[in-house]
Amino acid sequence: MKRAFVFALLALAMGAGAAQAAGPGVGIGPYGGYNIALIQQDTGNGALFGIRAPINLIPLITVEPYYASSNLGDVNGTFGGLSYTRTGFDMKAFGATAILGSIGGGGLKFYPYAGIGSYKMTRTGSSDIKETGYNFGLGIGIPAGGKISVQTRGGLDMIVTGDTSRKFANVTVGINYNLMSGK
Amino acid sequence: MKNLRWILPALLLAFATPGCVLVSGQFLIDFDLSNFDASTDTAVTREDVDLTTKSDYNDHKNDLKGLSDVAVLGKITNNGATDIGVEVWMTAAPTTYTTPTQVTTNATRLWGPFNLAASATKQVGWDESAKLFSSTGKALLINEIKGDGQFTIYAIANAGTYSFNVDNGVLALVIDFGK
Repeated sequence: MKRAFVFALLALAMGAGAAQAAGPGVGIGPYGGYNIALIQQDTGNGALFGIRAPINLIPLITVEPYYASSNLGDVNGTFGGLSYTRTGFDMKAFGATAILGSIGGGGLKFYPYAGIGSYKMTRTGSSDIKETGYNFGLGIGIPAGGKISVQTRGGLDMIVTGDTSRKFANVTVGINYNLMSGK
Repeated sequence: MKNLRWILPALLLAFATPGCVLVSGQFLIDFDLSNFDASTDTAVTREDVDLTTKSDYNDHKNDLKGLSDVAVLGKITNNGATDIGVEVWMTAAPTTYTTPTQVTTNATRLWGPFNLAASATKQVGWDESAKLFSSTGKALLINEIKGDGQFTIYAIANAGTYSFNVDNGVLALVIDFGK
């Protein structure tokens, strides 16, 4: 499984690299989407918002600092015949993602990405979770004008909490505006 | 291509971190506590908890890593004429204390005080309950969850005399597991 994933990343990277135009580029863009809590019975799903700034300094790699915020939903349960609600976490994260290839420029772009960030999860009655997290997934860049593209991504965020983790699948849609095309 | 030399091993390292954090999660176990009355006119009320009677606990016992969230739930009625603070105390081993003094001397306070006015009835909220756990009690509870899963809890109040009853009581535990 891991080997297949690595080979897939390699193949996509080589394809993206071959298609990459030379020169640095800088963009910025807001995005929004939905976080789905995986194997977590004490917090729900919720909306996800953020902003990211892709910086393409070399042909093969785009580095993308990001900030994200998510309000996870409540969990409702019935215990002993009575109904209860547990407030979901508020999650905030910042970090950087490495993208194989570039997300701007002409043409449809498919790209894998992986990143690392600092995550903070808070809610009443629970100790704050402040841990390092990882994210990875696949994205599609769709041109929508000279400097604008629509970015759609599907991925997984994994916040490591000791020997376990909290994981979220997410789908986002955003706009990328090229501040500097680099061409 | 030089960059791939670093990126791919870094990705591999992230996915293969010790304990395989990918195969992990948080699952909820609720342990029903029978309806009970607690009063200084009678021996203290206790409940022997045996988590091994819960299939979820047994299914993941070897993979337990910690306690993510915990709550004492139920509807509590103060039958007395004075305000009280209901507390839950815990001993790691099975015990049979009969007086509040024995409990507060020998056991560890797990939860509370849940303040209740005279003659009032209140359902404990999940959020509210989660805030009432003491750090020492929570640590002891984690040890027992990772240990044999058997312990004794006592319900008392922080008043000289008290009388209250608990209906539909539940101990709700959200446990971290990882392969």
